[in-house]
Amino acid sequence: MPLLEITGLTKRFGGLQALSNFSFSMGERELVGLIGPNGAGKTTVFNIVSGFYRPTEGSIVFRRQLLNGLKPHRVTSMGMARTFQNIRLWNDLTVLDNIRLARYARLDYGFWDAVLRTGRYRRAEKAVETKAREVLELMELAEYAGEFPKNLPYGLQRRVELARALAGNPRLLLLDEPAAGLGSVDVEGLIRHIRWIYDEFKISIWMIEHQMKVVMSLCQRLSVMDFGCAIAEGTPEEIRRNPEVVRAYLGDGAL
Amino acid sequence: MQRYAVNVLFCAAAVALVGLAQAGMLDKYVLTIITFMGINCIFAVSLNLVNGYMGEFSCGHGGFMCVGAYTGSLLSVAFFTNSKLFGPALFPPELAPFLFPLVLIGAGSVAALFGLIVALPSFHTRDDYLAIITIAANYIIISVVENIDAIGGPRGFSGMRRVVGAMSDVADVPWMLIWTIVGLFVCVMTIYRLMTSTYGKGISAVCQNEVAAEIMGVDTNRVKIMAFMVSSGLAGLSGALYAHVYGYVNAQAFNILKSTEGLVIVYLGGMGSISGVLLAAIAFTLLVEALRFVMPWLNDILHAANLLPAGYELSQVWKWVIIPLILILLMQFRPEGFLGNRELTQVFPRLKRWITLK
Amino acid sequence: MEIFLQQCVNALQWGSFYALIALGYTLVYGVLRLINFAHGDIFMVGAYLAFYISTAFLAPEGLFGFSRGLTLALTIPLTMIFTSLVGVTLERIAYRPLMRKGAHRLYVVITALMCGLVLENGNLALLGASRKTLPALLDKSVYDVGGIAVTNLKLWVIFAAVLVFFALHFVVTKTRMGMAMRAVSWNKFALPLMGIPLDSVIVFTFVLGSGIAGLGGMLFAMSYPVLEPYMGAMTGWKAFIAAVVGGIGDIRGAFVGGFLLAFVEVMVAAFLPSTFRDLFAFSILLLILWQRPTGIFGRPLISKI
Repeated sequence: MPLLEITGLTKRFGGLQALSNFSFSMGERELVGLIGPNGAGKTTVFNIVSGFYRPTEGSIVFRRQLLNGLKPHRVTSMGMARTFQNIRLWNDLTVLDNIRLARYARLDYGFWDAVLRTGRYRRAEKAVETKAREVLELMELAEYAGEFPKNLPYGLQRRVELARALAGNPRLLLLDEPAAGLGSVDVEGLIRHIRWIYDEFKISIWMIEHQMKVVMSLCQRLSVMDFGCAIAEGTPEEIRRNPEVVRAYLGDGAL
Repeated sequence: MQRYAVNVLFCAAAVALVGLAQAGMLDKYVLTIITFMGINCIFAVSLNLVNGYMGEFSCGHGGFMCVGAYTGSLLSVAFFTNSKLFGPALFPPELAPFLFPLVLIGAGSVAALFGLIVALPSFHTRDDYLAIITIAANYIIISVVENIDAIGGPRGFSGMRRVVGAMSDVADVPWMLIWTIVGLFVCVMTIYRLMTSTYGKGISAVCQNEVAAEIMGVDTNRVKIMAFMVSSGLAGLSGALYAHVYGYVNAQAFNILKSTEGLVIVYLGGMGSISGVLLAAIAFTLLVEALRFVMPWLNDILHAANLLPAGYELSQVWKWVIIPLILILLMQFRPEGFLGNRELTQVFPRLKRWITLK
Repeated sequence: MEIFLQQCVNALQWGSFYALIALGYTLVYGVLRLINFAHGDIFMVGAYLAFYISTAFLAPEGLFGFSRGLTLALTIPLTMIFTSLVGVTLERIAYRPLMRKGAHRLYVVITALMCGLVLENGNLALLGASRKTLPALLDKSVYDVGGIAVTNLKLWVIFAAVLVFFALHFVVTKTRMGMAMRAVSWNKFALPLMGIPLDSVIVFTFVLGSGIAGLGGMLFAMSYPVLEPYMGAMTGWKAFIAAVVGGIGDIRGAFVGGFLLAFVEVMVAAFLPSTFRDLFAFSILLLILWQRPTGIFGRPLISKI
């Protein structure tokens, strides 16, 4: 049984066909890349899978459950987490609070517990705190716990976002262009981090990435999109040699 | 023990205040002003939850105060007095001091339910469009109240004075001052504790990046409902207190001008700062009252200096020209409010040693 | 049926007032993303200015002793000019310094609210509570169109609103300044690249918006010739709501919203107890906004993920 199974996914925005009949499947413990030229519909796939858009047609099955039409926070609580192309951290909350909030879906207390500071509240908060500190420690961010994300350099913000995604204990991590805007030194560090996360947390990762260096050195399998359709799938080596892919990236004249 | 210093100070001040009032050392006027100060504090701090922490621009907070004021008044009149509207009292008047919290809770709960008028549209609407919905809600609430003739319609509703009287018959203490202090304490604690819990920080998350909040597992719709309901519920509490201090309610007292007053206090104090808003509420109430005395004095001075034509007297209307002008100037000098989005303890870190709200 | 048509004419007249005020809200919002809450009071200032200017000119008591026609012809442009001066002054001394400092948007909104209060109460304090009455500048004549009585003044009001709409549409789509205004509403930072200073565009917007509100105030004063300082507050709030229901930032929206609100109000007042007017008007607006969160002509809020 695959971890994530997408069948015949189609999305239309008014008259614009952003995705047509996209199918994809990945198993547990896989690290898969999704590549394609700009505007190919990669982020749309992620947005549908994580619940921001409703698919026009098709189905998404994650851990044997149908995701169609679920709100993002429900999808998240089923064990999926994602990061964004442009960083979306809560800039006026500390790094620690950013991580703590990732445990929100698992909080087992309510409004009155928070106001009356019941035992249940104290236990839950203690657990959240411990978990958040642990994640920060693992991601080498402990020293920034009290900082505000807006004051951190770009590379660190990316790492905080990654840490936040991990703090929810996901089974599947979606990374939307994690290397966007990073310098070459930071990219090296990112590759190291992602590989380490993949080994350490025993999770599956599906990533969109433009930088070939990242994709080629990390992914076991790649799928390629163009104009809302999947056009190829295979190992990085196969993809590199696939004429369809080369045409999509470089145009017809290249061959 | 040191960390409890401010708490002890607060309690001591409260006790001292009540003691002074009890001993008759406080003028009735001063006592009323202090009580209204507390009510304004509750009103503004509750508005701050939505406008400061959640970053929405609610300009109809007066409407919820209105709901609370009327609900509280109706409940207490029905509970403790014989009235034409409800017939004989449900409880003996001697129980008034003990059952009054029920009235406050009832007022808060009903006002919280009315908060849904704004909370439900807020799922799809944001910013200025939501601001309109809040304004419309304010008008609608007032209009509804004015159209129900049984509770007085545009003439207003009274009878609460007898309830306060019944409380004083049981024990002759300044009851409304005590209830206001209790109400303020409950309000500040609720919001402080909410906003320091991970659960409540969902509100900040929605404010700062709603997309990220939703994707990290925050049920944004539930957070919005919670914030609006808590905020309007506490506004309802302030309304119920107001009604009993005043002894009379009229829907027009809670129109858009009342809401504006709340907005001014929140933005003057700093969005998302409880201590800032408390300071601003106190300062605002004092300013309004102080100017009442300053106006005649100013009039005399200006006449003495021959700056005013002889036939012209500076009326109290000028107060409402001067107050907005002062506020405009304050905004120019501190365009983020007294404290910005920080608390007093963050501006003066040493205070931390003296205070705990856990 | 006749009552209905008669009320339609009234609704068109009220709608014209709302539309003329709503335009000012919408123009300023489109350019600055600022809800200029003082705008309703600018309308009031316009009405008072019209009163002072026309009494200064008009024959029996006025200084100049002009005829009514000439007075009217002079009052219209002068009212508009002076009202726009008031609007620009507010922008200059209250809003601009605050925006320069990078204050939160809502602080500017609160300042606008306070400016409105200053105008209202300043007026009350200076001129006292006695109500002013605008002298009649127009010979009143009533036309009978199929049983419906229409005064010439009502026709003028509606005509003026329609004229303003087309003139504004022309300004915004055809002139350089108008196109700059539209450019700002899309992207504030690209404008200096076109070689037009942002400040001129903002001032121009305030001139347009306040001038139109001044015209509205004058027409209002001619139709209901009793002036009081708070006349702008309630009308202003309502016009603002009309602008938002239409879709704030859109000129067509201001018109449609204004007429819609007036229609609902007039019809409710005509066929139901008049105390229900606000209740129905606002409930309907709430429902519209619930269904179309950005108003009738508003662009949907799309946040790119």
